Amino acid sequence: MTKEHANWSPYDNNGGTCVAIAGADYCVIAADTRMSTGYSILTRDYSKICKLADKSFMASSGFQADVKALQKVLSSRHLIYQHQHNKQMSCPAMAQLLSNTLYYKRFFPYYAFNVLGGLDGEGKGCVFTYDAVGSYERVGYSAQGSGATLITPFLDNQLKSPSPLLLPAKDAVTPLSEAEAVDLVKTCFSSATERDIYTGDSVEIMIVNASGVRREVEQLRKD
Amino acid sequence: MLRHCNHQRLVFRHKLYQLREERDMKPDTFASLVSAMLYEKRFGPYFCQPVIAGLGEDDKPFICTMDSIGAKELAKDFVVAGTASESLYGACESMFKPDMDHEELFETISQALISSVDRDCLSGWGGHVYIVTPTEVTERILKGRMD
Repeated sequence: MTKEHANWSPYDNNGGTCVAIAGADYCVIAADTRMSTGYSILTRDYSKICKLADKSFMASSGFQADVKALQKVLSSRHLIYQHQHNKQMSCPAMAQLLSNTLYYKRFFPYYAFNVLGGLDGEGKGCVFTYDAVGSYERVGYSAQGSGATLITPFLDNQLKSPSPLLLPAKDAVTPLSEAEAVDLVKTCFSSATERDIYTGDSVEIMIVNASGVRREVEQLRKD
Repeated sequence: MLRHCNHQRLVFRHKLYQLREERDMKPDTFASLVSAMLYEKRFGPYFCQPVIAGLGEDDKPFICTMDSIGAKELAKDFVVAGTASESLYGACESMFKPDMDHEELFETISQALISSVDRDCLSGWGGHVYIVTPTEVTERILKGRMD
């Protein structure tokens, strides 16, 4: 009486890890550049980060074909918004749009685990974390993807900012400086690379602050 | 985990060993004993993942872990086990550095343990940390989130 199961799946997991940390006046969004399938590496040099608006960056791990489709949908929706409102979408607005877009495909989801990072209306760093069907929350920091379980407890410990686990929920922005936060992200990825086979090659880091966006690439172990 | 029934058996085996060999069992020997006992139940295993630590010959530190059928994993730096093992790998990998003294080691392992179990709904309620030095064994109890 066992149900017949499909021998083909529309999904695949391309692995990878994404992290974002919000600061008082900056936001760090990072993702490794390895793309895998099964036990093989497809490429060592694939960007999982997409610029959705001036101050909004989305990093997504999971099934990269779905991620690419999601990025296209959001980018075109942003373009329409710009035409209609004559301004860029704010990060919280983009956060809601992403949630709605994901839930729209509730019964055939985008296999994408997203972290949205940027600056909010007041110039403070903001990070939004999502599940595959659009449930989201504004947090001070988040990790998604294959290395998330390895990185998150370490971030809880190091960020000296209210963890999402605390009750009552406190406004979550880390007191760390921008340089310290970037260093912390590099440490997280080094550690995750050691123990997670799907994370490695290099990490792409975007730092958003009032003066604009800076990009850094740090090499990781390639094994 | 479900170690209560085997605690007595292991104490018994160690006492016999002490009587026969007139010395304590070394940690690596003890690990082999535990591994054998787990493999005896290969087709109906104990639901148990042990972590073994101690000082061997010349007070050289020894650590190892096993899966529930006794496959040993030796390491020089750290070993982890349990429902929060992935979290523990991440925390230990970031926080570990070689040649720490016992005070620093206690701090590091406690932070790694508490951070990892706080992210696991099946683990928590505090912790016990045992520090083994050539002269003594100290047990310290950690206070953690009670949820």
